[in-house]
Amino acid sequence: MEAFQSLMDGFAICFQWQYLMFTILGCLVGTIIGVLPGVGPAAGTAMLLPLTFGMSPTASIIMLSAIYYGAMYGGTITSVLLNVPGEAASAITCLDGHAMAKKGRAGSALAIAGIGSFIGGTVATFGLVLLALPLTRFALKFGPPEFFSLMLVGLSLAVALASKSMVRALIAAVMGLLLAMIGIDPVMGAPRFTFGEKSLLDGIGIVPIAMGLFGIGELLLTAEGSKSSVINTRLREMWPSWQEFKTSFWPIIRGTGIGFFMGLIPGVGVLVPTFISYAVEKKISKTPEKFGTGMIEGVAAPETANNAYCNAAMIPLFTLGIPSSAVIAIIMGAFMMNGLIPGPFLFKEHPDFVWAVIASFYVGNLILLIMNLPMIPLWVSFLRIPIPILYTLILGFCVIGSYSAEHSVFEVGLTLVFGLLGYAFKKLDIPLAPIILTVILGPLMERALRQSLEMSRGDFSIFFTRPISAVLLGLSLVFVITSLMKMTPQVKEDQEV
Amino acid sequence: MPTMKRPYQITASILFALSALITYESLQLKYYTSLGPGPGFFPFWISLCLAILSLVMFYQATFKKSDPRPEDFIESHLGYLRALGICVAWIWATAMLERLGYRLTMLVFFPFLLLALGRVKWYMIVLLTLLGSIVTFYVFSIQLSVPLPVGPFDGIFEPIDNLLY
Repeated sequence: MEAFQSLMDGFAICFQWQYLMFTILGCLVGTIIGVLPGVGPAAGTAMLLPLTFGMSPTASIIMLSAIYYGAMYGGTITSVLLNVPGEAASAITCLDGHAMAKKGRAGSALAIAGIGSFIGGTVATFGLVLLALPLTRFALKFGPPEFFSLMLVGLSLAVALASKSMVRALIAAVMGLLLAMIGIDPVMGAPRFTFGEKSLLDGIGIVPIAMGLFGIGELLLTAEGSKSSVINTRLREMWPSWQEFKTSFWPIIRGTGIGFFMGLIPGVGVLVPTFISYAVEKKISKTPEKFGTGMIEGVAAPETANNAYCNAAMIPLFTLGIPSSAVIAIIMGAFMMNGLIPGPFLFKEHPDFVWAVIASFYVGNLILLIMNLPMIPLWVSFLRIPIPILYTLILGFCVIGSYSAEHSVFEVGLTLVFGLLGYAFKKLDIPLAPIILTVILGPLMERALRQSLEMSRGDFSIFFTRPISAVLLGLSLVFVITSLMKMTPQVKEDQEV
Repeated sequence: MPTMKRPYQITASILFALSALITYESLQLKYYTSLGPGPGFFPFWISLCLAILSLVMFYQATFKKSDPRPEDFIESHLGYLRALGICVAWIWATAMLERLGYRLTMLVFFPFLLLALGRVKWYMIVLLTLLGSIVTFYVFSIQLSVPLPVGPFDGIFEPIDNLLY
């Protein structure tokens, strides 16, 4: 009851006209970001961070969250209409969504995706309301050793699931930790790895790293490569038939469940629930051979799972302070820039802010549902913007963003350095998500580790003798071992081939 | 068929050199203090992890079957020129933003990038340059309260400033 009362208070705040406006604006901009090729949700959120600098913390996080789930929906539009996923999570939707578009059922596919996304997102947010306070109370029992072990769980999952190669994923995670160590030491205040550069004393901000790795790196790659051609499709028959509604019902329910539970696990990434939900639908279908030829279940389930995951992924962030994905890590960075540390104390110290943001998730999902269907032709028109114009505008915006984070050209230069690093890592198939996760978690991990060792006077057994910490460490070990075991037969198979 | 063997060998070598530098730097910091682990404790172990991982990467690239090189690993000269154009424009912005101010810097940045990335009609170049330099400056500085740098020659924009302020 306490949670619902707080949620109602949150609604009272987020229905104020300025917050409502920021939610609508975030949904609009996010959808455009999702539609544009080469600009994923992570890059888009990083690029748009500067827009929120002059705002209050509540307005800032409401808008960034709206950009996030707007971008996820925007990706669906290009998957269905053009067979080009605007972002990775919509890749699986291309299979049946685009096949439906070719049959003149693009409107149906997008409508079902929108409805599924709304249901998935709303149910996941309801889960957030239900779980937030119990999880927060549980997390309040955590001391530094438990927090260190918890962050290790998040990290091991991110590494285990991020890449085909665990070595490459680990390298990415270690690189992020090293970047996080630049600047003043969080416990004793000694400068580290600044090489005499005063601008590095405060460490490297999240904006140049995220914008460089995800934004500039991606633009360099796309500008260098060949362009995908735009396929013209007509948006006939916008509304799904009654039969399509009926067929989509259970896939939407299953997609919601899969997306929600995957969202609770830090590090899973949005691709996993969408692929699992698609695989489940194909497995239980009476006509699995028809998947890929325009089955509505192939759109409904992954799109629902996608949005349920995105909203559920906010649960570990809000309650434990653990980002589940690159975008959530960037949003966590925005929390920190506003002087707010996500985690159990957030509900205690800033309840108005937390509940207003949670309430805005409901409002945002509803706005996306109402707004997106009639506006699909407008979103598609963004794809007709010539690439030189589009990229020049994005890069101009990135210059402003990287400068205004710290009002320093040093940050602008750093953004290019990280852009080149992101470009090289993408070429080498080194995943970028673990870098951003560890950049955010690195200082928190180091502080928790050092405080734990101070508590135990240097005795590492503190991590194994405290039950919650021991269980969490055991879990992270299980995740790493199982993912290593999964990789071994794959390597053998490859070698046999 | 070309493989990823050489790129991974080079990457592993660079990462190993980086880890050696960080290990050396972290040894200059206090490893342990009377209060507990010092500022050099965490970086030392992390850099050691990087060294081990880079050795594993080198071993895998050299002695295990390498992944085939993706078709788009090496692009056309024109593609590289476009990417280079982005880098040059960005370096210009970094170097000039505080020297010339936002508006003058962007009056060069926008047309250069538009021409470097492809064919754009001249009136679009003029329109986008004005939009990206002058209009954006006012939107961010006035509407969004995000101040952008002003240079010594920004007096030339005084008539516009008088109009808008």
